[in-house]
Amino acid sequence: MLVIVVENAPPRLRGRLAVWLLEIRAGVYVGTYSRRTRERIWTEVLAAIGDGNAVIAWAAPNDAGFSFDTCGVNRRVPVDFDGFHLVAFHPQERD
Amino acid sequence: MSASMPGLSPPRPIPLKDRSSLIFVERGQIDVLDGAFVVVDATGIRTHIPVGGFACIMLEPGTRVSHAAVALAARAGTLLVWVGEAGVRLYASGQPGGARADRLLWQARLALDEAARLKIVRKMFELRFGEPAPERRSVDQLRGIEGVRVRKTYELMARQYGLTWNRRAYDRMDWSAADIPNRCLSAATACLYGLTETAVLAAGYAPAIGFLHTGKPLSFVYDVADIFKFETVVPAAFKTAARAGGDRLERSIESSVRRECRDMFRRTNLLERLIPSIEDMLSAGDLPRPDPPVDAQLPAFEDGEPSGDAGHRG
Repeated sequence: MLVIVVENAPPRLRGRLAVWLLEIRAGVYVGTYSRRTRERIWTEVLAAIGDGNAVIAWAAPNDAGFSFDTCGVNRRVPVDFDGFHLVAFHPQERD
Repeated sequence: MSASMPGLSPPRPIPLKDRSSLIFVERGQIDVLDGAFVVVDATGIRTHIPVGGFACIMLEPGTRVSHAAVALAARAGTLLVWVGEAGVRLYASGQPGGARADRLLWQARLALDEAARLKIVRKMFELRFGEPAPERRSVDQLRGIEGVRVRKTYELMARQYGLTWNRRAYDRMDWSAADIPNRCLSAATACLYGLTETAVLAAGYAPAIGFLHTGKPLSFVYDVADIFKFETVVPAAFKTAARAGGDRLERSIESSVRRECRDMFRRTNLLERLIPSIEDMLSAGDLPRPDPPVDAQLPAFEDGEPSGDAGHRG
């Protein structure tokens, strides 16, 4: 099982993701693929994300039961708690 | 709950076997925001911790916890353990024990009955070494046999990982004085004790009523943890110690040990096995669970289906 969420992504990337995955909400894609296919899809995201940002999560045999990876800038940033990944939410930057 | 009341009803616990093992929180203000368990650091960065998804949360020096956060952890059935350097236990709370009088009474009766206690200690021996305990031995004799086997196992495992091993030694007052394998072991056993205490409480038993161990707040926890020690945390600790000896650690010793432990807990399915093994060893005592006295007052109202384990409230 894998989930990809994109924000501010160019329409061509969203169209490309919809080739393999089901867009269950705006920018939220779900599917079940092998590791190799998942990595291939993620490379396409990395190449086409532009100024947007994306996150991918997939089922994995670890303590949490899943892993995730991100690209682009987002206020939510993964943090490592002794090998367990949580997400830190950064406050709005003041100008 | 009436529609006019704000918020949702409190979260109910989920079973221990469905949870992740444990997490260490090092610094920050722990609070509840929008009903979720959050660590806020000095710069305002918020990190959510899915509190009910963990068996226990270890709070290291540098954390401050709000009243609401402790209440939330308790409702979610998650044990909070305040730990000092290297996981030395200071205080634990969050999942209040003693939610099941029938189980506590049964455990106490088993511990007080010499014949039952011996049977349980024999069962622990069997669970631990995978073979029945030698016949006609007292608890004291069994403890002696166990001690010898344990020392041998430490030596054997240390050799396996290419470590120099003298003996299990540590000074609670001067933690950094211990050698690397012992330091790793202390950090690793701290993780196991946290999880075991969670399981003992979640199953509805008292951590203090031990069978082989006695006289400590966690006597029963040590009893249960010993069964899994050589399968989980000792290999994890020695593996890390071996890597630390070769200076191949990217992180601190404690952090590396915890990673290794978490991996071991998952691979050995520890959380799924803890509660059944507790039931298993107590059943070996062969005493019936006590019925409530006939003249006792029964509950005035029915509770709903329990959502977590037997010892969880709610």
